[in-house]
Amino acid sequence: MDYKYIEQLLERYWACDTSLQEEQILRTFFQQEEVPAHLMPYKAVFDVQQEQAEQTLGEDFDARILQITEGESVRALPLQGGLRRGNFLRPLFQAAGLVALILTIGMAAQRSFDGAEKGQQTMYAQTDSIENPAQELIPLPEQQAAELTVEKVDSMNLTR
Amino acid sequence: MKKISFRDDVLPLKDRLYRLALRITLNPAEAEDAVQDSLIRVWEHRDEWEQIESIEAYALTICRNISLDMAGKAGRGNVQLSTINLSTDSQLSTLNSQLLPDESQEQKERIALVRKIMDTLPEIQRSIMELRDIEGKTYQEIGNILKLSETQVKVYLHRARTSIRQQAEKIEKYGL
Repeated sequence: MDYKYIEQLLERYWACDTSLQEEQILRTFFQQEEVPAHLMPYKAVFDVQQEQAEQTLGEDFDARILQITEGESVRALPLQGGLRRGNFLRPLFQAAGLVALILTIGMAAQRSFDGAEKGQQTMYAQTDSIENPAQELIPLPEQQAAELTVEKVDSMNLTR
Repeated sequence: MKKISFRDDVLPLKDRLYRLALRITLNPAEAEDAVQDSLIRVWEHRDEWEQIESIEAYALTICRNISLDMAGKAGRGNVQLSTINLSTDSQLSTLNSQLLPDESQEQKERIALVRKIMDTLPEIQRSIMELRDIEGKTYQEIGNILKLSETQVKVYLHRARTSIRQQAEKIEKYGL
């Protein structure tokens, strides 16, 4: 290794005349364990730089930051802005929401009920003739019931 | 200019921000807080990213300002740094009296002293040394980050390197 070159570079380094590449050469040179004794004090300077370059944050740091930035849209923003300003209004909003919900369900129910009533009026008229004999069938004596079924069977046979 | 993503373009700057914050606050916990605050502030200004020339320079500038605030609140600054300077001298003599023959031990002590010397430099010099010697930034980039002219950057860096050189040579001449 040519120490003259290193010494020259070093001299220019102190004078801030070295380029970034030349500074990298110095850094690489001083990274070796053994350098001439007269350069050892300067090696300490580059050793400290090396040590400083290795200072980094812990691994959990990313997760913490991303939780803040990426969770913001769903959590942090409404929490920070909404909670403070709209806090006292919150029960009111909930109540209003509940009322709106009840009204919607009520109106929907009313509608289907109205619609059903209109349709059912005609349906009742039709079903009366069907339902009533069916209801009468139950209390009917067994004989009459049997006759009815016979008649039904007869009419079925006739249609065939 | 390409679209900037927080996860891919901003978050990876964290260690660089941390080292700068550490040079300023000289306290790892405070430096970490400073980086967190800086990243959140960069994030809050995400609608301005498109107009920013260099997101890295932007983040570093924010980080330095936040770190300076923190160091200021903690009552540190150049006033207290000068007292550290005095204690370095007294530490020099104590170390001198307990000189160890082991060479690697000697080098360890040299490193410890250089570290101390660097920490006692004015903040602006520490910040410039960090950006130049650790992060490999050009004078122009450093000027951009610190809002200084290239000449000013060079002047400060020259002062910093001269102090370190003198101190390192002084240690060598008078022993550790």
